[in-house]
Amino acid sequence: MSGRVSVLEDRSEEGVMDSGGSGLLHLEGVSHFFGPRLIFKNVSLVLGPGRVLLVAGPNGAGKSTLLRIMAGLVEPSRGEVRRGPGPEDVAYMGHATFLYPGLTALQNLQFWNSMYEIAAHEDALLDLLKRVGLHGFVHERAGTFSRGMAQRLSLARVLLIDPLLLFLDEPTTGLDTGSQKMLFQEIKACRERGASVVWVSHDVGRDVSRADLVLEIRGGRAGYCGPADAYLAAGEGHA
Amino acid sequence: MRKALCIASKDLRQVFLGGSGPVQAVLLGLLLVFIFSLSAAPGERIPAQGAAAIFWLASSFSLVLIFNTLFHMEEENEVATALLLAPVSPQGVWLGKAIGGMVLLLLTQLFFLPAIIVFLGVEPPDDLLFGGLLVLGVDVGLTVLGSLLGAVSRGSEARDSLLSIIVFPLQIPLLLAGIKVGAALLSAEPVQGYMDWFGIIGAFDAVFLGAAMILFPFVFGSE
Repeated sequence: MSGRVSVLEDRSEEGVMDSGGSGLLHLEGVSHFFGPRLIFKNVSLVLGPGRVLLVAGPNGAGKSTLLRIMAGLVEPSRGEVRRGPGPEDVAYMGHATFLYPGLTALQNLQFWNSMYEIAAHEDALLDLLKRVGLHGFVHERAGTFSRGMAQRLSLARVLLIDPLLLFLDEPTTGLDTGSQKMLFQEIKACRERGASVVWVSHDVGRDVSRADLVLEIRGGRAGYCGPADAYLAAGEGHA
Repeated sequence: MRKALCIASKDLRQVFLGGSGPVQAVLLGLLLVFIFSLSAAPGERIPAQGAAAIFWLASSFSLVLIFNTLFHMEEENEVATALLLAPVSPQGVWLGKAIGGMVLLLLTQLFFLPAIIVFLGVEPPDDLLFGGLLVLGVDVGLTVLGSLLGAVSRGSEARDSLLSIIVFPLQIPLLLAGIKVGAALLSAEPVQGYMDWFGIIGAFDAVFLGAAMILFPFVFGSE
């Protein structure tokens, strides 16, 4: 079967672009193999500013791998990935929390504050911890946190970076309902300030209404690329 | 450089809060010194060259434990992934690890030196400045190499053995020079005759520095 080229071009008023435009993220003919096993092939898309792209698909479809390729953590077997923003404006929140368990919540943020040269004062970091509901655990070591608390601290790290391009890999894992609501608000805030979000979700039915675009990986290729409302109208999100 | 210092400072903070890594390194080194002291008859002194060899052997074993600890920190919760995405050069990460490792190695050696004087019966070095320069010179090469090879063994289940296997053969020239000059210092011989060994230490430091700066991005890069 010849490889299908799935082009997701967002031509909405908020983010007019094409393959030569000013998208924050460009994928051209991206394919990936694990050894001889094909994961997906010929995925192409352009993502403009202020858009939320939901990456859907069954377990093992390669959603997380595609996200890591988009973020620059994995080199694709074929194809090209271009990110508009530099590394200082890109954030990634994965399955792992990326926290140093031996450091306190505040020390973790202080470290990333230094790495990204954000120069946020301690008060700003404390405010951030308050925003994610960890104000009572500022001086507690991250290693003592529950999964949900660690995920909230991980979210604080991402919010500290204030990225233009945000990659989320099943970010609701371990979060209670209240924390999920907070996460969705932060995603909305990112979109409103012009940042783009690529969001891998295992609960498409719940999350598709919060997305502008959907890319579904199915059977080793992009099974659907297009607007979220059309995906939802087709009932795909509830499949 | 500033980010490298941040990484080193973060590592040291975690090590001192956790404590197990450097404590193990010190205990292992002290155990080595003590066991070697049993090879001498009561009242007998271990030759200066033997004492210097034991000092560097203890330092070398400690180095492996230190860099295992430092790189294990980046594996917990996959923090290395976040470091890879952060706007910090791979060389900055390597330098930060090397600085942290150097501080920890020097601290462990502060325990080893009195131990070899007490247990092995050697005289304390007269020329402390020269001794300090020797230790610093060898330690630079050891930590530069440790920081590079610690990243090579990153993620490997056989990390301990892998790091030991690849570090020890490469350390030999530095350790040999350290033992030769160290023996002269501990036996109060004039060290001028050993200046060539200092040249070797400098040369290997430079080679390891260059190699590490070039190679580190490849071993601490994307998957």
